[in-house]
Amino acid sequence: MDRRDILADNPVEKRRGYMPGVSVSPGRILFTAGMTGRLPDGTIVPGGMAAQTQRTMERLQAILQHAGANFSQVIKQLLYITDMEAHAAHGRAVRAGFFGEARPTSTALGVRGLADPAMLIEIELVVDLPDSPTAKPLLEKYNVENHGLDFYQGVIVNGGRLIYLAGQVANNPDGSVAGVGDWKRQAEKVYENIGHILRTAGATTASAVKETTWVLDIASWRQHGTAVRRAFYQGDYPASTLVEIQGLARPEFLVEIEVIAAVAR
Amino acid sequence: MPYTTITPAEVKPVANYKLATRMEGGRLLYIAGQVARDAEGEVLGKGDIRTQARQVFQNLRNVLQAAGGDLSDLLKITTYITNIEDFPAVAEIRSSVFPGELPASTLIVVKRLAQPELLIEVEGMAALD
Repeated sequence: MDRRDILADNPVEKRRGYMPGVSVSPGRILFTAGMTGRLPDGTIVPGGMAAQTQRTMERLQAILQHAGANFSQVIKQLLYITDMEAHAAHGRAVRAGFFGEARPTSTALGVRGLADPAMLIEIELVVDLPDSPTAKPLLEKYNVENHGLDFYQGVIVNGGRLIYLAGQVANNPDGSVAGVGDWKRQAEKVYENIGHILRTAGATTASAVKETTWVLDIASWRQHGTAVRRAFYQGDYPASTLVEIQGLARPEFLVEIEVIAAVAR
Repeated sequence: MPYTTITPAEVKPVANYKLATRMEGGRLLYIAGQVARDAEGEVLGKGDIRTQARQVFQNLRNVLQAAGGDLSDLLKITTYITNIEDFPAVAEIRSSVFPGELPASTLIVVKRLAQPELLIEVEGMAALD
Protein backbone atom coordinates (compact mmCIF):
# COMPACT_ATOMS: atom_id res chain seq x y z
CA MET A 1 0.00 0.00 0.00
CA ASP A 2 0.97 3.65 -0.07
CA ARG A 3 2.43 3.31 -3.56
CA ARG A 4 4.99 5.84 -4.75
CA ASP A 5 5.98 6.05 -8.41
CA ILE A 6 9.66 6.92 -8.70
CA LEU A 7 10.79 9.07 -11.58
CA ALA A 8 14.55 9.55 -11.80
CA ASP A 9 15.98 12.99 -12.61
CA ASN A 10 16.89 11.57 -15.99
CA PRO A 11 13.69 9.83 -16.96
CA VAL A 12 15.16 7.46 -19.51
CA GLU A 13 11.88 5.55 -19.56
CA LYS A 14 9.95 8.65 -20.60
CA ARG A 15 7.04 7.78 -22.93
CA ARG A 16 7.92 4.13 -22.79
CA GLY A 17 4.87 3.00 -20.88
CA TYR A 18 6.52 1.95 -17.66
CA MET A 19 7.88 3.40 -14.44
CA PRO A 20 11.61 3.44 -13.53
CA GLY A 21 10.75 2.51 -9.96
CA VAL A 22 7.77 1.85 -7.74
CA SER A 23 7.98 1.63 -3.95
CA VAL A 24 5.33 0.34 -1.58
CA SER A 25 4.95 -0.28 2.11
CA PRO A 26 4.58 -4.04 1.77
CA GLY A 27 1.40 -5.20 3.43
CA ARG A 28 0.00 -7.79 1.04
CA ILE A 29 2.10 -8.64 -2.02
CA LEU A 30 0.90 -11.00 -4.77
CA PHE A 31 3.35 -12.90 -6.96
CA THR A 32 1.89 -14.55 -10.06
CA ALA A 33 3.32 -17.47 -11.95
CA GLY A 34 4.50 -16.78 -15.46
CA MET A 35 1.32 -17.00 -17.54
CA THR A 36 1.00 -17.84 -21.24
CA GLY A 37 -1.59 -18.24 -23.99
CA ARG A 38 -2.50 -21.71 -22.76
CA LEU A 39 -6.06 -22.92 -23.20
CA PRO A 40 -7.93 -25.22 -20.77
CA ASP A 41 -7.09 -28.29 -22.92
CA GLY A 42 -3.36 -27.53 -22.61
CA THR A 43 -2.90 -26.31 -26.18
CA ILE A 44 -1.80 -22.77 -27.04
CA VAL A 45 -4.41 -20.36 -28.37
CA PRO A 46 -4.12 -20.09 -32.19
CA GLY A 47 -3.57 -16.72 -33.85
CA GLY A 48 0.02 -15.80 -33.02
CA MET A 49 1.40 -13.06 -30.79
CA ALA A 50 -1.72 -10.88 -30.53
CA ALA A 51 -3.96 -13.80 -29.57
CA GLN A 52 -1.41 -15.23 -27.12
CA THR A 53 -0.89 -11.86 -25.46
CA GLN A 54 -4.66 -11.36 -25.16
CA ARG A 55 -5.15 -14.81 -23.61
CA THR A 56 -2.16 -14.31 -21.27
CA MET A 57 -3.50 -10.97 -20.04
CA GLU A 58 -7.00 -12.37 -19.52
CA ARG A 59 -5.58 -15.18 -17.39
CA LEU A 60 -3.51 -12.71 -15.37
CA GLN A 61 -6.62 -10.59 -14.93
CA ALA A 62 -8.42 -13.59 -13.42
CA ILE A 63 -5.53 -14.10 -10.97
CA LEU A 64 -5.68 -10.41 -10.02
CA GLN A 65 -9.46 -10.48 -9.63
CA HIS A 66 -9.25 -13.50 -7.33
CA ALA A 67 -7.07 -11.35 -5.05
CA GLY A 68 -9.43 -8.37 -5.36
CA ALA A 69 -6.89 -6.48 -7.46
CA ASN A 70 -6.56 -4.93 -10.91
CA PHE A 71 -3.76 -3.93 -13.27
CA SER A 72 -3.34 -0.48 -11.70
CA GLN A 73 -1.87 -2.19 -8.61
CA VAL A 74 0.86 -4.05 -10.50
CA ILE A 75 4.31 -2.90 -9.39
CA LYS A 76 6.39 -5.12 -11.68
CA GLN A 77 5.89 -7.01 -14.91
CA LEU A 78 8.40 -9.41 -16.40
CA LEU A 79 7.98 -10.32 -20.06
CA TYR A 80 9.63 -13.36 -21.60
CA ILE A 81 9.34 -13.15 -25.36
CA THR A 82 10.64 -15.48 -28.07
CA ASP A 83 10.12 -12.94 -30.89
CA MET A 84 10.65 -9.30 -29.92
CA GLU A 85 9.65 -7.91 -33.33
CA ALA A 86 6.33 -9.76 -33.28
CA HIS A 87 5.72 -8.45 -29.76
CA ALA A 88 6.45 -4.86 -30.78
CA ALA A 89 4.12 -5.22 -33.77
CA HIS A 90 1.27 -7.25 -32.27
CA GLY A 91 1.68 -7.79 -28.52
CA ARG A 92 2.46 -4.43 -26.96
CA ALA A 93 -0.82 -2.76 -27.91
CA VAL A 94 -2.79 -5.67 -26.45
CA ARG A 95 -0.96 -5.35 -23.14
CA ALA A 96 -1.42 -1.58 -23.13
CA GLY A 97 -5.19 -2.09 -23.43
CA PHE A 98 -5.21 -3.98 -20.12
CA PHE A 99 -2.90 -1.57 -18.28
CA GLY A 100 -4.60 1.62 -19.46
CA GLU A 101 -2.93 4.52 -17.66
CA ALA A 102 -1.25 2.22 -15.11
CA ARG A 103 2.55 2.13 -15.17
CA PRO A 104 4.38 -0.73 -13.45
CA THR A 105 8.13 -1.25 -13.53
CA SER A 106 9.00 -3.60 -16.36
CA THR A 107 11.65 -5.88 -17.80
CA ALA A 108 11.36 -7.40 -21.28
CA LEU A 109 13.61 -10.29 -22.25
CA GLY A 110 14.11 -12.05 -25.56
CA VAL A 111 14.49 -15.71 -24.62
CA ARG A 112 15.25 -18.88 -26.56
CA GLY A 113 12.20 -20.85 -25.50
CA LEU A 114 9.28 -21.26 -23.14
CA ALA A 115 7.64 -24.34 -21.63
CA ASP A 116 5.85 -25.21 -24.91
CA PRO A 117 7.58 -24.55 -28.27
CA ALA A 118 4.37 -22.88 -29.50
CA MET A 119 4.52 -20.24 -26.74
CA LEU A 120 5.61 -16.80 -27.94
CA ILE A 121 5.15 -14.83 -24.73
CA GLU A 122 5.02 -15.39 -20.99
CA ILE A 123 4.23 -12.69 -18.42
CA GLU A 124 4.51 -12.60 -14.64
CA LEU A 125 3.47 -9.87 -12.23
CA VAL A 126 4.19 -8.57 -8.74
CA VAL A 127 1.19 -6.77 -7.27
CA ASP A 128 0.65 -4.53 -4.26
CA LEU A 129 -2.73 -5.51 -2.82
CA PRO A 130 -4.74 -2.74 -1.17
CA ASP A 131 -6.24 -4.38 1.91
CA SER A 132 -4.73 -5.10 5.31
CA PRO A 133 -2.75 -8.30 6.00
CA THR A 134 -4.10 -8.49 9.55
CA ALA A 135 -5.81 -11.78 10.51
CA LYS A 136 -4.78 -13.48 7.29
CA PRO A 137 -2.48 -16.51 6.91
CA LEU A 138 1.13 -15.66 6.03
CA LEU A 139 0.83 -17.23 2.57
CA GLU A 140 -2.23 -17.69 0.37
CA LYS A 141 -1.41 -19.98 -2.54
CA TYR A 142 -4.17 -20.36 -5.12
CA ASN A 143 -5.18 -21.39 -8.61
CA VAL A 144 -7.92 -19.86 -10.74
CA GLU A 145 -7.84 -22.76 -13.23
CA ASN A 146 -7.59 -26.53 -12.80
CA HIS A 147 -4.30 -26.78 -14.67
CA GLY A 148 -2.98 -29.87 -12.90
CA LEU A 149 0.63 -28.65 -13.08
CA ASP A 150 3.24 -28.37 -10.34
CA PHE A 151 2.86 -24.71 -9.35
CA TYR A 152 0.36 -22.20 -8.00
CA GLN A 153 -0.87 -19.43 -10.27
CA GLY A 154 -0.85 -16.86 -7.49
CA VAL A 155 0.81 -16.60 -4.08
CA ILE A 156 -0.06 -13.76 -1.68
CA VAL A 157 2.33 -12.82 1.12
CA ASN A 158 0.44 -11.27 4.02
CA GLY A 159 2.69 -9.06 6.09
CA GLY A 160 5.72 -11.34 5.88
CA ARG A 161 9.40 -10.63 5.58
CA LEU A 162 10.45 -11.24 1.98
CA ILE A 163 13.61 -13.22 1.29
CA TYR A 164 15.36 -12.74 -2.04
CA LEU A 165 17.79 -15.50 -2.98
CA ALA A 166 20.56 -15.05 -5.49
CA GLY A 167 20.11 -17.35 -8.47
CA GLN A 168 21.46 -20.72 -7.38
CA VAL A 169 23.68 -22.87 -9.55
CA ALA A 170 25.36 -26.26 -9.01
CA ASN A 171 28.26 -24.67 -7.17
CA ASN A 172 30.28 -26.58 -4.57
CA PRO A 173 31.68 -24.67 -1.57
CA ASP A 174 35.21 -25.10 -3.00
CA GLY A 175 34.13 -23.32 -6.19
CA SER A 176 33.96 -26.42 -8.38
CA VAL A 177 30.84 -27.31 -10.37
CA ALA A 178 28.78 -30.30 -9.20
CA GLY A 179 27.61 -32.58 -12.00
CA VAL A 180 29.37 -31.24 -15.07
CA GLY A 181 27.18 -32.34 -17.99
CA ASP A 182 24.78 -34.03 -15.54
CA TRP A 183 21.32 -32.43 -15.37
CA LYS A 184 20.07 -34.53 -12.46
CA ARG A 185 23.11 -33.90 -10.27
CA GLN A 186 22.97 -30.16 -11.00
CA ALA A 187 19.27 -30.07 -10.12
CA GLU A 188 20.01 -31.86 -6.84
CA LYS A 189 22.85 -29.50 -6.00
CA VAL A 190 20.86 -26.38 -6.83
CA TYR A 191 17.96 -27.45 -4.60
CA GLU A 192 20.38 -28.53 -1.87
CA ASN A 193 21.85 -25.00 -1.93
CA ILE A 194 18.39 -23.42 -1.92
CA GLY A 195 17.40 -25.61 1.04
CA HIS A 196 20.45 -24.51 3.05
CA ILE A 197 19.77 -20.84 2.33
CA LEU A 198 16.08 -21.10 3.21
CA ARG A 199 16.89 -22.83 6.52
CA THR A 200 19.49 -20.20 7.42
CA ALA A 201 16.89 -17.52 6.73
CA GLY A 202 14.40 -19.21 9.06
CA ALA A 203 12.31 -20.55 6.19
CA THR A 204 11.36 -23.95 4.78
CA THR A 205 10.64 -25.22 1.27
CA ALA A 206 6.98 -24.37 1.90
CA SER A 207 8.03 -20.73 2.42
CA ALA A 208 8.89 -20.36 -1.28
CA VAL A 209 6.63 -17.81 -2.92
CA LYS A 210 8.02 -17.47 -6.44
CA GLU A 211 10.52 -19.50 -8.39
CA THR A 212 12.19 -18.78 -11.72
CA THR A 213 14.01 -21.66 -13.37
CA TRP A 214 16.48 -20.70 -16.10
CA VAL A 215 17.69 -23.66 -18.14
CA LEU A 216 19.83 -24.18 -21.24
CA ASP A 217 17.44 -26.88 -22.47
CA ILE A 218 13.84 -27.34 -21.41
CA ALA A 219 13.54 -30.92 -22.67
CA SER A 220 16.56 -32.02 -20.60
CA TRP A 221 15.22 -30.19 -17.55
CA ARG A 222 11.86 -31.97 -17.91
CA GLN A 223 13.57 -35.30 -18.20
CA HIS A 224 15.98 -34.95 -15.28
CA GLY A 225 15.11 -31.94 -13.15
CA THR A 226 11.36 -32.11 -12.63
CA ALA A 227 11.50 -35.14 -10.30
CA VAL A 228 14.15 -33.45 -8.14
CA ARG A 229 11.99 -30.32 -7.94
CA ARG A 230 8.90 -32.38 -7.03
CA ALA A 231 10.78 -34.12 -4.20
CA PHE A 232 12.00 -30.76 -2.91
CA TYR A 233 8.60 -29.06 -2.68
CA GLN A 234 6.48 -32.14 -1.87
CA GLY A 235 3.34 -30.57 -3.26
CA ASP A 236 3.71 -27.17 -1.56
CA TYR A 237 4.78 -25.35 -4.72
CA PRO A 238 5.49 -21.66 -5.30
CA ALA A 239 4.24 -19.66 -8.28
CA SER A 240 6.79 -20.43 -10.96
CA THR A 241 8.25 -19.61 -14.36
CA LEU A 242 10.40 -21.86 -16.57
CA VAL A 243 12.53 -20.23 -19.26
CA GLU A 244 15.10 -21.49 -21.76
CA ILE A 245 18.03 -19.12 -22.18
CA GLN A 246 21.37 -18.93 -24.02
CA GLY A 247 23.80 -19.16 -21.17
CA LEU A 248 24.75 -18.73 -17.50
CA ALA A 249 27.80 -17.36 -15.69
CA ARG A 250 29.93 -20.42 -16.43
CA PRO A 251 29.67 -22.72 -19.45
CA GLU A 252 29.30 -25.76 -17.13
CA PHE A 253 26.10 -24.49 -15.55
CA LEU A 254 22.97 -26.05 -17.06
CA VAL A 255 20.39 -24.54 -14.71
CA GLU A 256 20.00 -21.56 -12.41
CA ILE A 257 17.05 -21.22 -10.05
CA GLU A 258 16.07 -18.14 -8.10
CA VAL A 259 13.55 -18.15 -5.30
CA ILE A 260 11.64 -15.51 -3.41
CA ALA A 261 10.40 -16.73 -0.03
CA ALA A 262 8.69 -15.21 2.99
CA VAL A 263 8.66 -15.74 6.74
CA ALA A 264 6.44 -14.23 9.42
CA ARG A 265 7.32 -10.89 10.98
CA MET B 1 19.20 -0.66 5.25
CA PRO B 2 16.29 -2.59 6.72
CA TYR B 3 17.49 -6.01 5.65
CA THR B 4 19.57 -8.91 6.92
CA THR B 5 22.21 -10.71 4.86
CA ILE B 6 21.72 -14.48 4.94
CA THR B 7 25.02 -16.35 5.15
CA PRO B 8 24.63 -20.13 5.26
CA ALA B 9 27.69 -22.16 6.29
CA GLU B 10 27.10 -24.82 3.62
CA VAL B 11 26.89 -22.67 0.47
CA LYS B 12 29.38 -20.33 -1.15
CA PRO B 13 28.55 -17.86 -3.91
CA VAL B 14 30.24 -18.08 -7.30
CA ALA B 15 31.51 -14.50 -6.95
CA ASN B 16 31.45 -11.65 -4.42
CA TYR B 17 27.67 -11.39 -3.86
CA LYS B 18 25.24 -12.11 -1.05
CA LEU B 19 23.50 -15.49 -1.25
CA ALA B 20 20.25 -14.03 0.04
CA THR B 21 18.78 -11.03 1.80
CA ARG B 22 15.77 -10.87 4.10
CA MET B 23 13.79 -7.66 4.24
CA GLU B 24 13.08 -6.68 7.85
CA GLY B 25 11.02 -3.54 7.34
CA GLY B 26 10.82 -0.29 5.46
CA ARG B 27 9.56 0.24 1.94
CA LEU B 28 9.98 -2.26 -0.88
CA LEU B 29 11.25 -0.71 -4.11
CA TYR B 30 11.01 -2.48 -7.46
CA ILE B 31 13.28 -1.04 -10.17
CA ALA B 32 12.55 -1.52 -13.86
CA GLY B 33 15.21 -3.21 -15.95
CA GLN B 34 17.74 -0.46 -16.65
CA VAL B 35 19.38 -0.18 -20.05
CA ALA B 36 22.00 2.13 -21.56
CA ARG B 37 19.69 4.89 -22.68
CA ASP B 38 20.44 8.53 -21.94
CA ALA B 39 17.91 11.18 -20.88
CA GLU B 40 16.75 11.57 -24.51
CA GLY B 41 16.13 7.85 -24.82
CA GLU B 42 19.09 7.29 -27.14
CA VAL B 43 21.08 4.07 -26.75
CA LEU B 44 24.63 4.89 -25.69
CA GLY B 45 27.71 2.86 -26.53
CA LYS B 46 26.42 0.82 -29.43
CA GLY B 47 28.60 -2.30 -29.59
CA ASP B 48 30.51 -1.11 -26.50
CA ILE B 49 29.72 -3.18 -23.43
CA ARG B 50 31.81 -1.05 -21.08
CA THR B 51 30.03 2.19 -21.93
CA GLN B 52 26.66 0.46 -21.71
CA ALA B 53 27.44 -1.22 -18.38
CA ARG B 54 28.57 2.08 -16.82
CA GLN B 55 25.41 3.83 -18.03
CA VAL B 56 23.16 1.02 -16.79
CA PHE B 57 24.57 1.14 -13.27
CA GLN B 58 24.38 4.93 -13.28
CA ASN B 59 20.71 4.72 -14.30
CA LEU B 60 20.08 2.11 -11.58
CA ARG B 61 21.66 4.43 -9.03
CA ASN B 62 19.59 7.38 -10.30
CA VAL B 63 16.36 5.48 -9.64
CA LEU B 64 17.53 4.43 -6.17
CA GLN B 65 18.50 7.98 -5.30
CA ALA B 66 15.23 9.35 -6.63
CA ALA B 67 13.53 6.97 -4.19
CA GLY B 68 15.71 8.22 -1.32
CA GLY B 69 18.10 5.28 -1.29
CA ASP B 70 21.34 4.09 -2.82
CA LEU B 71 23.10 0.99 -4.09
CA SER B 72 23.66 -0.31 -0.55
CA ASP B 73 19.88 -0.67 -0.13
CA LEU B 74 19.56 -3.26 -2.90
CA LEU B 75 18.22 -6.64 -1.86
CA LYS B 76 18.91 -8.30 -5.18
CA ILE B 77 19.92 -7.54 -8.75
CA THR B 78 19.58 -9.51 -11.96
CA THR B 79 22.04 -8.82 -14.76
CA TYR B 80 20.94 -9.83 -18.25
CA ILE B 81 23.55 -9.80 -21.01
CA THR B 82 23.34 -10.90 -24.64
CA ASN B 83 26.92 -12.25 -25.02
CA ILE B 84 28.67 -14.33 -22.37
CA GLU B 85 31.96 -12.94 -23.74
CA ASP B 86 30.91 -9.57 -22.28
CA PHE B 87 30.68 -10.95 -18.74
CA PRO B 88 34.30 -10.27 -17.62
CA ALA B 89 33.97 -6.59 -18.55
CA VAL B 90 30.56 -6.38 -16.86
CA ALA B 91 31.88 -8.08 -13.73
CA GLU B 92 34.80 -5.65 -13.56
CA ILE B 93 32.59 -2.55 -13.89
CA ARG B 94 30.01 -3.99 -11.50
CA SER B 95 32.73 -4.57 -8.87
CA SER B 96 33.86 -0.97 -9.17
CA VAL B 97 30.25 0.20 -8.73
CA PHE B 98 29.77 -2.01 -5.65
CA PRO B 99 33.02 -1.59 -3.70
CA GLY B 100 32.01 -4.18 -1.10
CA GLU B 101 29.84 -7.23 -1.52
CA LEU B 102 27.18 -7.22 -4.24
CA PRO B 103 23.53 -7.73 -3.32
CA ALA B 104 22.02 -11.16 -3.99
CA SER B 105 22.67 -11.59 -7.68
CA THR B 106 21.65 -13.55 -10.76
CA LEU B 107 23.35 -13.54 -14.16
CA ILE B 108 21.45 -14.64 -17.27
CA VAL B 109 22.46 -14.64 -20.93
CA VAL B 110 19.38 -13.92 -23.03
CA LYS B 111 18.79 -14.00 -26.79
CA ARG B 112 18.19 -10.28 -26.95
CA LEU B 113 16.83 -7.30 -25.03
CA ALA B 114 14.11 -4.80 -25.94
CA GLN B 115 16.19 -3.33 -28.78
CA PRO B 116 18.90 -5.18 -30.72
CA GLU B 117 21.56 -2.55 -29.79
CA LEU B 118 21.16 -3.22 -26.06
CA LEU B 119 23.87 -5.47 -24.63
CA ILE B 120 23.02 -5.35 -20.91
CA GLU B 121 20.00 -4.81 -18.68
CA VAL B 122 19.98 -4.78 -14.87
CA GLU B 123 16.93 -4.85 -12.61
CA GLY B 124 16.67 -4.94 -8.84
CA MET B 125 14.68 -4.65 -5.64
CA ALA B 126 15.62 -2.60 -2.61
CA ALA B 127 14.53 -2.12 0.99
CA LEU B 128 14.34 1.58 1.89
CA ASP B 129 14.17 3.19 5.33
